[in-house]
Amino acid sequence: MRHPPSTSLIRVALVEDDVIFQNALREAIETAPDMVLLNVASTKALGLQALNKFEVDVLLVDLGLPDGSGIDVIRAAHARWPACNIMVSTTFADELHVMQSLEAGASGYLLKDSDPQNMLDEIRSLNGGGSPISPMIARQILLRFRPQDKSEKLPPKKPSATKPRALLSAREQEVLEYITKGFTSDEIAALINVSSHTVLTYVRRIYAKLEVNSKTEAIYEARNQGLLAQ
Amino acid sequence: MKHAIKDYWRSSVLLAACLLGACSAAAWADTREESGLVSHIISAEMLVSNVHSFSPPSSTIDAGTLTGAWTQVDLPHHFAGALIPALIPTTGTSDTAAMMTTWYRISLEGLLQPNKSAHLYLVHWRTAGQLAVYGDGHLLYRSIGTPAWNAIKNPALLIPLNQTADAAPPNLILIRMDSLPSAGGAISSLYVGDTDALYSRYTVRDWLENQLAFMCSAAFLAVGFFALAVWIVRRREPLYFLLFAIAMLAALRRWYYFTGLEKLLISDQWFAYISFNAVMWQIVALQFFMALLHQKKRPWLNRGLIGFSITLTILTLPWSSTPQSIVPFNLMFILPIVAAITMIAVNSWDSWHSRSREAQLLVSWMLVALLFGVHDGLYRKYQLNIEGFYLAPYATVGLFVIMMVIMYRRYVGAIGEVERVNASLAQRLQTREAELAEIHERLREIGHRQTLSQERQRLVQDMHDGLGSSLVSALRVVEHGRMGEAEVAQVLKGCIDDLKLAIDSMEPVDADLLLLLATLRFRLGPRLISTGITLLWQVENVPPLDWLDPKNALHILRILQEAFTNIIKHTHATEIRVATGVESDYVMVKVTDNGQGFAVQSALKSGGKGLSNQMRRAEAIGAEIKWVSNNTGTSVTLRLPIKKLA
Repeated sequence: MRHPPSTSLIRVALVEDDVIFQNALREAIETAPDMVLLNVASTKALGLQALNKFEVDVLLVDLGLPDGSGIDVIRAAHARWPACNIMVSTTFADELHVMQSLEAGASGYLLKDSDPQNMLDEIRSLNGGGSPISPMIARQILLRFRPQDKSEKLPPKKPSATKPRALLSAREQEVLEYITKGFTSDEIAALINVSSHTVLTYVRRIYAKLEVNSKTEAIYEARNQGLLAQ
Repeated sequence: MKHAIKDYWRSSVLLAACLLGACSAAAWADTREESGLVSHIISAEMLVSNVHSFSPPSSTIDAGTLTGAWTQVDLPHHFAGALIPALIPTTGTSDTAAMMTTWYRISLEGLLQPNKSAHLYLVHWRTAGQLAVYGDGHLLYRSIGTPAWNAIKNPALLIPLNQTADAAPPNLILIRMDSLPSAGGAISSLYVGDTDALYSRYTVRDWLENQLAFMCSAAFLAVGFFALAVWIVRRREPLYFLLFAIAMLAALRRWYYFTGLEKLLISDQWFAYISFNAVMWQIVALQFFMALLHQKKRPWLNRGLIGFSITLTILTLPWSSTPQSIVPFNLMFILPIVAAITMIAVNSWDSWHSRSREAQLLVSWMLVALLFGVHDGLYRKYQLNIEGFYLAPYATVGLFVIMMVIMYRRYVGAIGEVERVNASLAQRLQTREAELAEIHERLREIGHRQTLSQERQRLVQDMHDGLGSSLVSALRVVEHGRMGEAEVAQVLKGCIDDLKLAIDSMEPVDADLLLLLATLRFRLGPRLISTGITLLWQVENVPPLDWLDPKNALHILRILQEAFTNIIKHTHATEIRVATGVESDYVMVKVTDNGQGFAVQSALKSGGKGLSNQMRRAEAIGAEIKWVSNNTGTSVTLRLPIKKLA
């Protein structure tokens, strides 16, 4: 293992069983002067163990681990180190896996076929408080928050009255809508007169609300089913 | 079947109990003894005198003026009329025929206790004429009906002998009975004595003789109207109309029970006419009723009875101007009796063979009623103790009860039937639902399989055209060692893009074209950036395209992907502009570059695979694709219909 890192470096850990991707990331980080790869775990068990040994700034997790789902690692990491930026590494950034990861506490994803420079940029952006988003994810999030939206013609659902839920701000809503129309964060920033980084922090806040709501819903469901005291 | 038998016996037992109750009540009344309070007078002195005119009784009479041969007779006493009865006079006054007066003299000496309220109770009297009762020469009672009326309806008499207990009761009772000689007459035994004791005897008789028949007729009539109401809404069930008709005719026939002791509102002829014809039509109605019960058709009997009844109804019409032309009713009553016997005989046969319990019950009762009729004939002709009763009213009571039983069984049966039908309907519905569910499930499965198969074909086609052929050509090139690493990476990246777009096309986009374009940009953007091309995103909101399913979405993605690929590969452009817009019924997607352009016509003619693929795909989704190119750039316009043409 490496020496304890200086605080100015971005501490990165990886939970991934694909050796090629392990190497690709390792090589990429070695070229980056501002990053250090603290740990590479190839199974879920090792990944969970490592959570107690290292505190990192960015944790990259693959979902398909040989001994279980990376979602468990994400959840455990988010509980143990709330300040840690968790990224799911995925091939397609498909809606299903990314949404699950976001709800478990991840705040970004990394496409495995990205070129090394791109990977490093994503890690830096994430560490800086920004989050990536795709149009499909944006649409999915809009749908999730829709019942709370008074401007929609849909009648408000009864249960929502009893479920305290985080709401999207008008700005966040606007950002998501731009994303579903194909605008990049730079373009949106220009359209709403903020910096590009601010747009990415909006996305981070939206992900956080998604995670909070998913927790609230879990508790609500548990209460409904009598698993939790009122 | 078992149920039916049980019901039948139950209702029979009920009927028997009713009759038994009535009979025992009568027996109880007869055997009751009030010895000491009441004297039973069973003999009287009788004097017969002839008068020439029918005159109302005088208010007083001196018994001493009645001289002649008084003879001792036993009570009840009757005297027969002429063998061939003459016409009953139509009015009491205008008659010239000789009248006969029969006097009965009864001494009450020593029979009544002093200082007691006393009554005289005459159980029965009957004659075509009138009756007057005197006490010590003063008129105590006189009948008020016409002779014809009195020949039929003869209530028991309860006459006060003294108005109060301290008034002295008369010692001598004189009864004057005026009658047509032809009619005959009768008088029952008498009771004198305590008012209360006699009143209860009188009440019991009155109840059995009049009130019971009256109540049952009234109840029957009420049920008849109910049946009529049922028939009005259910015309296909004549049973209910017949029930009404029978009840109505029974009421008409026994009208005198309803009108009480007062004179009828119509003339005696009309009264007799109605009573007579009511009997006849009741027979007709019963015939049809029976036919409905046992389901045997006797058209000749039906026609015969109806024809017979119509004939009689017309023939017996009382023309008031010529009363003498009417055939005497006494003889006329033979005709309904013949008709009734015929009807009962035929229906007994039919009921016996039909196994209809209801028909058997009813026809049995009609046999009983016929016996009652024989009894009443004899009773009328003084052949039986006149202190008895007419039985025909009880026949109507029995008829009423039986018809109630029939109605009751139909009603209960109908409810049971409805329940059974409902149960079987529910069961059939359930079976049908299960079948439907199964069919639905099968259809869904077929639909599902079909969708899967179509989806597979679509993906296979896409893989074949895109990813597959790219990989195969890359493999060939690599095998021949003619490709550098960078080129291989480029081919593979293209393959991954193909794959990503294929996967993206499967996400539902909810008719949102911009979301589809956004996805395309998300996938292909990094490649454009890496080639140094600037992408200008100038999309505007467009109406939803309802036909944008995964298949059509993939076509659009591939058309635009091809456009981008062409620009990257062939045009040396530095800038690509993507714009959307609406033109009448079309949504336009325009991709413009600032490259060197190409000759569109020759490119199309030479059959470049890219352009023809784009055209084929555009055609498949009902869209148009157009290229405009010059040496400062090329624009590709995709024209998508908002409403998919059928």
